[in-house]
Amino acid sequence: MEHDYPEQPGWVRLPGYDEDPRYPHDADDSRGYRRGAGARGSGVRRVRQASNWTAALLIAGVAATTGYFAHHAPPATPATSAVTSVPGGTAATRAHKPSLSAPVATSSGSGVTVGTGPGGTRIVTYRDN
Amino acid sequence: MAVMGPEGARDWCSVDVGAATVGVAERDALGTTARVVVWPPNWTGRVLAAVDAELALLDEQASRFRDDSEISLVQRCFSAATRPRSAHPGDATRRGSCIVSEGLAEAIAVALAAAEWTGGLVDPTVGGALHGLGYDRDFAALPQGAAGEAAPPEPGYVPGWQSVRLDGRRLRLAAGVRLDLGATAKGLGSDRAARAAAACVPGGGVLVSLGGDIAVAGEAPLGGWPVLVSDEPGQHGREPAARIARPVCAPEEPPGRQVRLSAGGLATSSIRCRQWRRGGRTLHHIVDPRTGLPAAGTWRTASVAAASCAEANAAATAAIVAGEQAAGWLAAQGLPARLVAHDGSVRLLGGWPATVGGLVKVPVTPRMPAAPSGRPDGTRRPPEDLSGPARPDRVR
Repeated sequence: MEHDYPEQPGWVRLPGYDEDPRYPHDADDSRGYRRGAGARGSGVRRVRQASNWTAALLIAGVAATTGYFAHHAPPATPATSAVTSVPGGTAATRAHKPSLSAPVATSSGSGVTVGTGPGGTRIVTYRDN
Repeated sequence: MAVMGPEGARDWCSVDVGAATVGVAERDALGTTARVVVWPPNWTGRVLAAVDAELALLDEQASRFRDDSEISLVQRCFSAATRPRSAHPGDATRRGSCIVSEGLAEAIAVALAAAEWTGGLVDPTVGGALHGLGYDRDFAALPQGAAGEAAPPEPGYVPGWQSVRLDGRRLRLAAGVRLDLGATAKGLGSDRAARAAAACVPGGGVLVSLGGDIAVAGEAPLGGWPVLVSDEPGQHGREPAARIARPVCAPEEPPGRQVRLSAGGLATSSIRCRQWRRGGRTLHHIVDPRTGLPAAGTWRTASVAAASCAEANAAATAAIVAGEQAAGWLAAQGLPARLVAHDGSVRLLGGWPATVGGLVKVPVTPRMPAAPSGRPDGTRRPPEDLSGPARPDRVR
């Protein structure tokens, strides 16, 4: 619903008020309805055009960003089939590398020694790890 | 606590090393102890099954203590077909041959490559000498003779690695050759097992230790796998896990005893274990091929890091046998090493870290040839500086 208000004292006409050729200046300035409608229509068209360009740019930007992450983001799970075949298995990534503070294995000579215990019993000792 | 894995994994016991971010398990295997460390820990069961398969294969292929192993079968075949009295290196080409499995062929090839690389100081034909010294069965079943119970051991016969010919899978042995792959087989087993295990842990990492010969594969933890290098004499009973799980920053540690490993392998050879007594003498399992007797060099323990555990294993054993020449050879090879003399003094070589928990920088490229370049006429390549100038003739 739209309508024009009669001009009031102190109002200033917007630039371009008389420039739209489809709405020539009417000698009867008291009938301002057509002039107002023309100015409004022109503004709406400009806004629509700007909105279309903005929307197109946004869509293109989102598409480009989506494509980038689709190709560069680390996969959520390893690509090998072994991952899915083990219940409870999770993908290990560099981000999850453990940090170990204590030795987890010992390198020594092929450490089996045989000794004699109480009562002459043989005691075999494994001590490699 | 018995563990742990699903199908195929057997007899493993979980080990608490004070870190929940890795799974650790061990069991007896190949006459020693196998330990496996895995991250993330939820893959441990599958990894243990893979390691089991590799260890079983190696045992079936290369154990000289199993009558039904492939190498025992091959040995019997050659023993029946040859006449030892006429044996000498080079006979192999005139005698029969047999086709061995790919796995045994690889194990023999690695042993021969190690022999050539070390100028013959690591020799797979010391099996006869070891047998003669009394090491003729699984060590745990070895009788401990009392002093004076038997005559002092005689030097054993070492035919030399050139008496073994391997062409693809076709094997020829000279008469009287008794193979012992002990200087490289455990390292090779660790390498195989680590590779197979790493394939089960996409994005994670594994450490496999066979009797202290360690191979790692996959992604190492931050800063590398922390490893303790041991030179201590044996203690009765299995070493408790709590002993291992001590902080890296213990101030009283000898130099280079706690290191980190991010790739390749680390192996230790020592004359302080696998000892037995015979004829009033204490013997050990590292035979000097030049004398046919247990090595009596400068170092009692040698730890070496290399691109693979088999290579590290061969280098460590060669260092024990080589004695004084070992340091120069290891330095020339660019291999990080830690040598312990009989008086307990420690010598670090090739960038082996002196700081506690330092990272061992392992060479990326192997130093040991992938296969021996054996000569068809059976002649021996001149020994490199590792062998030293004073090289006595072999003893028969």
